[in-house]
Amino acid sequence: MNLFAEAVGFGLVTAAVIALAAVGLSLQVSVTNFVNFAYGDFMTFGAYVAYAANAAGLNFFPAVLVGAAGTGLLGVGANLIVFRPLMRRKSRTLVLLICTVGLSFIVQNVIVLIWGTNSVHYTVTIGNALHIGPFLFTPGDLILIGVAFGLLALLHLFLQYTRFGTALRATSNNSDLAQACGIDTGRVINWTWAISGIFCAVAGVGLALETNTLRPALGFNELFVVFGAIILGGIGRIYGAMLGALIIGILTEVSGMFADPAYKGAIAFAVVVLVLLIRPQGLLPSRGRSA
Amino acid sequence: MLFFILDLLTLGAINAIMAVGLNLQYGQAGILNFTYYTFIAIGAYIAAVTTLGKPTLTGGVYQYILQWRLPWPLALLLAGVVAALLGLVVVLVVIRRLRSDYLAIVTVSIGFIIWNVITNYIPLFNGSNGLFSVPYILNGATVSTTQYTVEVMVVSLVVLAGCIWVARAIFRSPYGRVLRAIREDDVVAASFGKSTTASRVWVFVIGCFMGGLAGAMLVFYISAWNPAGFLPQESFILMAAIVIGGPGNYWGAVLGTFVFIEFLSEIERYLPNVGNGAVVGAGRAILIGIFLIAVVRYRPEGLIPERWLRWYKVKGPQPGEPPGGEQLTPGGGSGRRRFLGWATSRVKG
Amino acid sequence: MLEVDDIEFAYGGSKAVDGCSFVVADGQVTGLIGPNGAGKSTLLEIIAGGLAPSRGRLVFNGVEIQGMSRAQVAQQGIIRTFQTTRELTRLPVLENVVFAAPNQMGENVLASLFWRRRWASQEAQLRARAEELLAWVGLTRLREEPAGTLSGGQRRLLEIARALMAEPKLLLLDEPSAGVYPAVRHLIAQRIREVVGRGITVLVVAHNMAFLSEVADDVVVMAEGRVLRRGPLEEVRADQAVVAAYLGGGHVGGTS
Repeated sequence: MNLFAEAVGFGLVTAAVIALAAVGLSLQVSVTNFVNFAYGDFMTFGAYVAYAANAAGLNFFPAVLVGAAGTGLLGVGANLIVFRPLMRRKSRTLVLLICTVGLSFIVQNVIVLIWGTNSVHYTVTIGNALHIGPFLFTPGDLILIGVAFGLLALLHLFLQYTRFGTALRATSNNSDLAQACGIDTGRVINWTWAISGIFCAVAGVGLALETNTLRPALGFNELFVVFGAIILGGIGRIYGAMLGALIIGILTEVSGMFADPAYKGAIAFAVVVLVLLIRPQGLLPSRGRSA
Repeated sequence: MLFFILDLLTLGAINAIMAVGLNLQYGQAGILNFTYYTFIAIGAYIAAVTTLGKPTLTGGVYQYILQWRLPWPLALLLAGVVAALLGLVVVLVVIRRLRSDYLAIVTVSIGFIIWNVITNYIPLFNGSNGLFSVPYILNGATVSTTQYTVEVMVVSLVVLAGCIWVARAIFRSPYGRVLRAIREDDVVAASFGKSTTASRVWVFVIGCFMGGLAGAMLVFYISAWNPAGFLPQESFILMAAIVIGGPGNYWGAVLGTFVFIEFLSEIERYLPNVGNGAVVGAGRAILIGIFLIAVVRYRPEGLIPERWLRWYKVKGPQPGEPPGGEQLTPGGGSGRRRFLGWATSRVKG
Repeated sequence: MLEVDDIEFAYGGSKAVDGCSFVVADGQVTGLIGPNGAGKSTLLEIIAGGLAPSRGRLVFNGVEIQGMSRAQVAQQGIIRTFQTTRELTRLPVLENVVFAAPNQMGENVLASLFWRRRWASQEAQLRARAEELLAWVGLTRLREEPAGTLSGGQRRLLEIARALMAEPKLLLLDEPSAGVYPAVRHLIAQRIREVVGRGITVLVVAHNMAFLSEVADDVVVMAEGRVLRRGPLEEVRADQAVVAAYLGGGHVGGTS
């Protein structure tokens, strides 16, 4: 029983990182209607910018803030330079998706050019594992879970109770209608990219800490896990992404108890495939929009 | 120098086979398969493990399945068939959500998972150690490297010709027309009674078959294979090459692949080593990324655009045809007769 | 003939279609009108197989078609046009029309690869027929242009030509004259009457009264998801209940 609780605990940590990433991606997809395949590389970018700031002398936490800001800017920049002109032209989703693939090549390899392919690390100590109840956490794990929870709660409050949050939800629901109501959808989209970038950067840092490596392919290799969470929750559904992340995080770690840990990812994804076969629209109840 | 050119051509032919296969799926049918390289890899592995015999190294260090020592033509065919079967499984999983985002996401993820399993599960294909000493085809063991290259090139060109024949036949047929319609608007296609899922499943499976053939030819040429050679990124790069070259046209796909995948890779060998070894590879990827975004933005039909009009080209204008009327006689005016004659002679070929 | 029997479609908390019943008689043009939100387009979508009703039956020539997929409905002989035209934008106009023909022998993989001789003559016939249809709607000189380059009125005509290529028994027209010049609208009305002359049944959703009076033999008025009145256009238009329904949420059609 102890082992199981510990596995669930690890699963929570994994889920925290995946949730941050998945929510950031869901937010962007729900507003812009296409999936950013460079998202994993945005995560890596955030982690590296934080690393650069950290290596330049900043303490760890301020460095993470710098990473978050940097990724937010990257997202907005990508939107202004690449996506907005295409969206203006009402390009199809396929076209925009392929653009993100190109972006992925560029971001990942610019990272390689600047920082090389070797693994780098932050100047922060995780601390030792403590027993908290039946779980086994390091202080770093707890901070990670706390930060994730905090950010997600902030996002929820923002979306539900602020004017801009409502504008964002309106744009994601029906951007033409939102525009007709006087909402500046261009600004909403820019801010969505910024927020998505922030979440994504924190997730990237969390991932780097969790796996104790930071290499150029870090985020890219994690992409499919994030996708799995999103498929489980339904593409574009933010709360679904949180649920999906939780399920995948815990499932991945618990499965490590029964099978070779090297296949954690495969097992988690097998579950996603199962869900896809049975309920393609995701686990959350349908929103009842007409086809 | 001669060897460089032969090598370029051989790999070019093999890459062209991949290009035609992926182009069938994406260019003609609009299916976004972001894990095409998985099928190439499976083809390669099957070709390897069906031509290899028992592992010569003992002690569990070198394991893999099958070990059949088949003659290479059979192995080639089997490679295609297994890749096609895997393709069938994959497409049936995503069939209920063939919307482009879902398809892209799920195919990417399937690719990662398969790569994960192959790399870790040693008894299958010897994991990350890879396979080597794959037997040469034809009389390869006894001839010079140059001659072997030529032999592989010829075989690859024959396979390529077959694949192009298939792609072309599909393109210039009502089936190709249904695929195009589904690609442009699958609701409309369904609204006219076309069976969208069956059509797409078939084209996906055929495309995967071609991928398997390409993988087999690759492993016959290189005589070794390793998971590091088919990272999930390779599928993205292949897709990018096709989009740039011209997704609607298999020649465009061949061109895109040749320039961006093959030529740039080979050039790498001849450039001075700048900084750490990964720089040139990174530079190539960045170049591809920029080209991709530029093409999508400014020339979405790619370098070589789709040319279905050739199939419909009418010789001579037909002004003032009398409207209505039920007769379909092939003599309703010289223009019409020429059109019908041309149409029937073309489709017979 | 199409029988709509107590069709209901509910989503979220509301019912877009709430117990709708009527019969579309063979060989006629039946108009379907009503204020915005009456459920006309939803009903059309249900008939065409895009939505499954939560209750009720649809019987077409003796076959129950509710819940069938779009492709199955089309194979029964029910062909539709769309409220906003959905042409295959990048493909040539001719291909847009030829594609719609049913039962094409060359449409499966094996036939395309191995048995070209079998479908070659059918293909030639289909092209000839498509050319005739294009001439009939006046789009011949545009046959090689990508469909996306056509004007709004031309696209409407293209959709009609395409629908006829499919050899329909029942044509569902969703606002076929919306957004076109009066001259084109008149042409569309004429063509629809010719179609009926050949024995095809038509159900047309429209708002424009001038168009309807040219085209419809009989009119069904829907409001709030169910049938309000039925009869010739002039009668129905003067009916108190119909006027009230429109005033509640619009006006009884205009001339533009």
